[in-house]
Amino acid sequence: MADKLVIDPITRIEGHLRLEIEIDGGQVTDAWSSSTMFRGLEIILPGRDPRGAWLMAQRI
Amino acid sequence: MRAVEDALGIRIPENARILRNLIAGIQYVQDHVIHFYHLHALDWVDVTTALQADPAETAKLAQSISSWHNSSETYFQGVKDKLAAFVNSGQLGPFANGYWGHPAYKLPPEANLLAVAHYLEALDWQRDVIRVHAILGSKNPHPQTYLVGGMSTAVDPESESALNADKVALIRKLFVKAKQFVDQVYIPDLLAVASFYKDWAGYGEGLGNFLVYGEFPDRAGNMLFPGGVILDRDLSQVYPLDQEKVAEYVTHSWYQYGDGDQTAKHPWDGETQPNYTGPKPPYQFLDTEGKYTWLKAPRYEGKAMEVGPLARVLVAYVSGNKRVQEVVNSVLETLAVGPEALFSTLGRTAARGIETLVVAEQLVPWLDELAAQMDAGDVTIHNGDKWDPATWPQETKGWGFHEAPRGALGHWVRITDQKIANYQCVVPSTWNASPRDASGQRGAYEAALIGTPIADPEQPVEILRTIHSFDPCMACAVHVVDTEGRELVHIELEGSM
Repeated sequence: MADKLVIDPITRIEGHLRLEIEIDGGQVTDAWSSSTMFRGLEIILPGRDPRGAWLMAQRI
Repeated sequence: MRAVEDALGIRIPENARILRNLIAGIQYVQDHVIHFYHLHALDWVDVTTALQADPAETAKLAQSISSWHNSSETYFQGVKDKLAAFVNSGQLGPFANGYWGHPAYKLPPEANLLAVAHYLEALDWQRDVIRVHAILGSKNPHPQTYLVGGMSTAVDPESESALNADKVALIRKLFVKAKQFVDQVYIPDLLAVASFYKDWAGYGEGLGNFLVYGEFPDRAGNMLFPGGVILDRDLSQVYPLDQEKVAEYVTHSWYQYGDGDQTAKHPWDGETQPNYTGPKPPYQFLDTEGKYTWLKAPRYEGKAMEVGPLARVLVAYVSGNKRVQEVVNSVLETLAVGPEALFSTLGRTAARGIETLVVAEQLVPWLDELAAQMDAGDVTIHNGDKWDPATWPQETKGWGFHEAPRGALGHWVRITDQKIANYQCVVPSTWNASPRDASGQRGAYEAALIGTPIADPEQPVEILRTIHSFDPCMACAVHVVDTEGRELVHIELEGSM
């Protein structure tokens, strides 16, 4: 029988990451990586002046 | 910026190319050192046992691995006293929430004290060396002096307000300081710590597919870290990079595509339509059979890829970069491991140090190149030929790439009637933290974790080792803290199947 482990958030990183991990016999047998935040710059940029895109995209 | 320059067919001036290399170069060095000491070291270093260290033993160890000046017994006694005062105050600050005392920690107390000393020194060092961003980019983070067509950092040896000879001299001093810390502190520490954890050359391997766009162009357009693709751990060849082969799936991501979620879209035709189907918080588990993340799943020729320092070092090595080959061979020799050790958590962490060393060596030569340009009277920083939108075609598209410290970063833009019609960013952590795709292939983190030994599921320090070896950056630095300022870490353990 496998155990399922959730780590949310993973610390000492930049931003927000969640992991769901399946453990069996003392080792990881499967893993799912999840970003729990939405970015949305692709929605903000259309319609704007391309010369200013870097200034906004840089904030990622 | 490069995406827009590509779309408009703009060539930037030499000075702008060098300035961009300088800003990105010092960022690598600062970022990687911070990552090693402040984000990753505590996965390997048990801070609390540093209090049991004999400062004389730490001094002996420090002097045996490096000529760094802070290495006396008195110095380490001072660090130990500072740490003791910290622990006794009950306010652990950055050292709170560690898995202290975990059996997976292998360093002797004197090495732990050495690492704590350098953790603190690196904090001061990084604040100083990144002043280069303030000088060349006006601020850090997010330098402000970029411009489509070049840079806005005025360059003029005769001017008080521009980048002049005095400022070049200050930057040179900071670059020397940056390189010295890398040579005498970061690399010796990395090798010393790694020598106690060689078993981690056997874990965290991951996909075995590596993608690099390339960065740090020289005058002729050759890259210090060339672009290329390595597949299936085959170090006998590098495939040429073709950005047309990049495509993103949303099968397991909280988005929907107009023509169904089983297909992949090239970023020029990318869509960003949020479609959250996950559970309502608070929840225990995500629906990992369905959609489970805000990241799309980028693939190259349909394959999941790892990006970042290990990818860059491998592609440079196989492409014949002599300096990278030299440093890699020397690291492997020092640790007495073969090249297969690179495909691991330890290899990824070592590759970050290797490329830091290689970039740190280039900083002063790049600055000399800029100074020579200035001396020769070339102060051009911007190509304004295409600045006026009236000169643009009615419809165009472009691709811009960069090797960020964390890996391959691509922006794709379509411009119609002088406005952005579509803009898609595929950032390094989208590759590495990618979810599964339509055919169920795992992303790099997911693949790398399989087979990781877990001594105690309540204290999964081993998972952090592998995940931190990728240096995750999940799009935005949001820290969740509770009302007492402790970072909220939620670990659930459940017999589920």
